[in-house]
Amino acid sequence: MASRRPRIALPGITAILVKELRGRMRGRRAFVSVTIYVLIVAGFAGMVGRILEESVRQNFGFSPEYQSASIGRGIFISLMYLQTLMIAVLAPASTAGTISGERERQTLDLLAVTPISSLAIVVGKLLSSLTWVFVLILASIPVAALVFVYGGVAPDDLLRGYALLFVTATAFGALGIFFSALVRRSGAATGLTFVSILVATVGLTFVWVFLRVSVPNNLDGPGLAANRPPEALLYLNPFVGQADVACGAEGGTGSWCSIIAEVTGTNPSFGQPVPVALGVAPDGGIGQACVSDGTTTKCTSAVAGPGLAAPDAIANDVVADPASLRDRYWPRSALTLLLVSLGFTVAAVQLITPARRWRPHLPGPRRRPRAKDSA
Amino acid sequence: MTTIVRTEGLVKRYDRTLAVAGVDLDIEAGEIFGLVGPNGAGKTTTLRILATLLEPTAGEAEIAGWSLARNPNEVRRVLGFMPDVFGVYDDMRVWEYLDFFGRCYGLPAATRKRVIGDLLDLVDLGDKRDAYVQGLSRGMQQRLCLAHALVHDPKVLLLDEPASGLDPRARVELRELLRELRSLGKTIVISSHILPELEELCTSVAIVDRGRVLASGRISDIERRLRVGAVLQARVLAEGEALESARAWFSGQPDVASAAILPDGMLELGFRGDEFGASALLRNAVSSGLAIASFSRAASDLEELFLQVTGLDEPAAAAVTA
Repeated sequence: MASRRPRIALPGITAILVKELRGRMRGRRAFVSVTIYVLIVAGFAGMVGRILEESVRQNFGFSPEYQSASIGRGIFISLMYLQTLMIAVLAPASTAGTISGERERQTLDLLAVTPISSLAIVVGKLLSSLTWVFVLILASIPVAALVFVYGGVAPDDLLRGYALLFVTATAFGALGIFFSALVRRSGAATGLTFVSILVATVGLTFVWVFLRVSVPNNLDGPGLAANRPPEALLYLNPFVGQADVACGAEGGTGSWCSIIAEVTGTNPSFGQPVPVALGVAPDGGIGQACVSDGTTTKCTSAVAGPGLAAPDAIANDVVADPASLRDRYWPRSALTLLLVSLGFTVAAVQLITPARRWRPHLPGPRRRPRAKDSA
Repeated sequence: MTTIVRTEGLVKRYDRTLAVAGVDLDIEAGEIFGLVGPNGAGKTTTLRILATLLEPTAGEAEIAGWSLARNPNEVRRVLGFMPDVFGVYDDMRVWEYLDFFGRCYGLPAATRKRVIGDLLDLVDLGDKRDAYVQGLSRGMQQRLCLAHALVHDPKVLLLDEPASGLDPRARVELRELLRELRSLGKTIVISSHILPELEELCTSVAIVDRGRVLASGRISDIERRLRVGAVLQARVLAEGEALESARAWFSGQPDVASAAILPDGMLELGFRGDEFGASALLRNAVSSGLAIASFSRAASDLEELFLQVTGLDEPAAAAVTA
């Protein structure tokens, strides 16, 4: 092993990258897809903004300008959710066919006999597919930056949201490439990828909710945190991670923070167990009233006061507070997603290594014979 | 001449099937070596093992002195492989295709540019440089695939059924191309179940069936070794019943496995004896009063050798030589 010269890694990745990107970016296709993506994002942002403005006008009876920051946050969060959803579809769709497609077109053998390593093949394919998704995400930044016109969202909130978007794309893309290497048909690989993503997000979240209900809940106790199912169950769900990013933008209190409080059992702004059972969340100055039925916490903007005008001040307070739990949940979620990406990428590399020489020769189950190989 | 490809007791087993059952090959540098055998004989598996795509269950192999098990990367650098079924990438121009594989072998840009031009000239695709790969004809794709296997100037070329699916003209072109490559000093290992195609091309062959090498060496050597057993053709001056009784007489002789009347009135005899036996048979036939106008061994060729060696029955033989 040690005496082996390393196979071409970097030039190999470049070779795959150049080839794939040449194909993907050729002609009008890339231009059209970026345009459509940005149009969807922009159209959605415009509609959400209009809806929020109208709801402010109707519910509070005053001009939306006074609620500008909360409208800005609303648009920002909607954009992150919309993009997470689109990425959850686009990233796997762009990777799930890459390796199985080579098998279907019978080009994988041509690659496997070159000195290019399996690692370079997988990483090159993943990078090129992700590059395309990243281009879409990056193209939406100018649209998302329009929320700065409303306020309520700091540039670093936007950075957090986008960081999580990139990580989400990487994880779901890696999952796609894993299934692409595992099964022979692109259609099956795509299907399996989507099912897995559903299980990892919706499925695990459902399990979490189920456990949350099942675990005996001592409503009289001061610390509900101990009774919660592990929050790690939700790390794979980027929507919860984005909720934490949104909570950061809210400055520690608000409807998104209450979701995170429910998940982690701690109040992001105070770092203490949430006394949900009391029925009212600690007033962070915005005036949120939260009611809990023991399983979920519902918060409503019960009080609208002049305190609303200063969310940035609150955010600054929270960041400055060392006990703050800001940036506690979503980085863990992002790290988990990154580790998952790494794991699936390595697994994909192993799956396409023609003769798996790195593995000691253990007697083990052999792969089923294939008609093609025995000819 | 030095041995450039050597295998020893190569075995590849899938759950129950033994695809390759102990293949020993010695291929000398500069040869065009043919692997002949019916479908399922283990040719493709053998080539895929040599191409480092499959790990043998047992046995060893070396290419240009590098062990496949220990130095697969060095082997890959001296090896060009063209699989039996190969696909082409969509959305790729001919030059990009070669450029891609050039990059895979880590060739610097200037070398790639030169090599692509040379190879496109060699395989006669110079005017298709900017055409899309999927738009090429089957024969052109085959030549392009051959060109791709040559970007890194390999010493050994492994070609699995390179002529399958080609029209006669494309086959002739391919054959010319392979001769040209041989003159450039490449060793070519080529598998086929189409015998005439190999016969004109190969300097040596190995006849494989059911995962084993039944015979290998220069075609003339194998022929000499297999002198026992041949097809004899005799013209007997007789018609109708007389001819039938002549056939019956022959089929009653020792060492005559079969005797049949061909449509043109010739007698065809499957004969197990050697040349002395054939001469004795002729003497006996003449002395028993048969009027024999001609008596000869049917021209021995690869197809016949193959049938003898593999001992296939008629329908299977027809399928093999079709």
